[in-house]
Amino acid sequence: MREETTTIYLGPQHPGITGNMMIKLQVKGDTVVKAETHIGYLHRGFEKLMERRNWLQSFTIVCRICVPEPDPNEENYSRAVEEIEGREVPERAKYIRVMVLELARIASYLLWYGGQNGSAGLYTMGQWSVGDRNYILDLFEELTGGRVYHMYIWPGGVRRDLPEGFADKVLRTMDYLEKRLDEYDKLMFENSIFQQRGQGVGIIDPSKAIEWGVVGPPLRGCGIQSDVRKDDPYEVYDKLDFEVPKIEGKSDVWARALVRRFEIRESIKIIRQVIEKMPAGEVYNKVPNPMKWIVPKGDAYVKTESARGEFAYYMVSDGSDKPRRVHVKGPAYVHGISLLENLLVGENIADVSFIMNSLGTCPPEMER
Amino acid sequence: MDNIKLEKEQQLADILSSDFTRLDAKVIRERRVEAVLSSNDIIPSVLLFAKDKMGYVHFSHMSCVDWLEEGEFEVVYILWNPEEKINLLIKVRTERENATLPNIDYIWRQANTYEREIREMFGIEFPGLVAAKEFILEDWQDMPPMRRDFKTKEYVDDHFFHRPGREDAKDVREEIANRSGEEIPEFAKKFSRK
Repeated sequence: MREETTTIYLGPQHPGITGNMMIKLQVKGDTVVKAETHIGYLHRGFEKLMERRNWLQSFTIVCRICVPEPDPNEENYSRAVEEIEGREVPERAKYIRVMVLELARIASYLLWYGGQNGSAGLYTMGQWSVGDRNYILDLFEELTGGRVYHMYIWPGGVRRDLPEGFADKVLRTMDYLEKRLDEYDKLMFENSIFQQRGQGVGIIDPSKAIEWGVVGPPLRGCGIQSDVRKDDPYEVYDKLDFEVPKIEGKSDVWARALVRRFEIRESIKIIRQVIEKMPAGEVYNKVPNPMKWIVPKGDAYVKTESARGEFAYYMVSDGSDKPRRVHVKGPAYVHGISLLENLLVGENIADVSFIMNSLGTCPPEMER
Repeated sequence: MDNIKLEKEQQLADILSSDFTRLDAKVIRERRVEAVLSSNDIIPSVLLFAKDKMGYVHFSHMSCVDWLEEGEFEVVYILWNPEEKINLLIKVRTERENATLPNIDYIWRQANTYEREIREMFGIEFPGLVAAKEFILEDWQDMPPMRRDFKTKEYVDDHFFHRPGREDAKDVREEIANRSGEEIPEFAKKFSRK
């Protein structure tokens, strides 16, 4: 007897999909036998646009590549330009950059709490964490003028110094969030529904993870302590004390959730250290007139640890006033296509968006 | 550069340069080593050597740069060694006309995605690459759009229409110049609509 499969198109508009993309699923009963990622619904041509814009104009569009966490894009772009140019960044600016990046990481993890639990049908958690994320967006608004897109970390440093009393506000917000994390544990990690849904689902083979290009929380969920902040330190991460989680378990959705649970506390620790150690001084090493700004010929490969994993930029300058090539590689480029397609095979159809959320799939960085 | 700190990097560059004749390796900075290949045929053997013998097991990135003036594409393979914590950038050049490079998705399966994108956006062929032709673009008939000779504005004018109701939209620079009686500065003229 021939066994029939059914084709299901999940997306491009679907509550279980994190953005505009589509997964074409072949299912037999409830079990996925084949998955194919289809992208192209969100292509905005950033990399092409940057070929026709000067260095400062290009900077203003990189943050648009990622909505939940735009700052790693800004930081990568700035650091790549600085590396090609050999431009020094003031020490205080580096500390401020780390603070912004860690705030963005917490904000992104809080949004993930909502997505991950929402795909398991636990909606209360998302209401709480997205509500708390607003306190961080308030900080961003005061610091940069924008809640979502900041354009704050720019080549040469940061756009302006901290407003008066800002550090105290950050510390108060961190104190508040730390208390809330205990509440989150009760609602999410002690919840038997989440435990049963997450354990044993979406298992990545730890012996193959590095070879498959897995990075960030999914890789650390395999028990491999890999973090760009430790392995290839940038800004002032080598001067700060924080830990990379060592997760023992089955490298499933549950393990990846534990990684984020651990890291959100580490980020709070980093922010407190940054505010304590931040030196006084300038925050911006001025770039020339943007209309006449020439960056010397050269190339740079820089990477940042974003909330979803290693975020890399390969930038080439031909010695003109515009970038020759800016290639953006987000972690979802691998997680959302080759990894997800293989991971979904054999899983239950109800777990598809649950697994997808655990990998932090984000279509804008697959099609820049 | 601090020579003591860059010992590991220099060692890698020396090994690569001595093992492959058509390869020129140098240290760029801490944790970054660059290897420029003068032949495309040795790409798979260099990558396999790096992966199996040197511990560069993580395929981080693959990028393509169009050097239109020189008539060449430059393709960059970026590998990562999780033990030594070094990024190895392997660069090759190929003619823009009928550009072809060896397929490497049997070495790292995620390379398939990168090659699909480069095939679609730059038009480089990878013989033996098994993947759907369309990746990001749909029903694309034109030149691969990431090539630098692709005329973005002409394409937009041919395929799309401007939103109605903006026919009287004014050029801001010219409007300011008209009202104030000042000339548009030389450097800003190239941004003007006329």
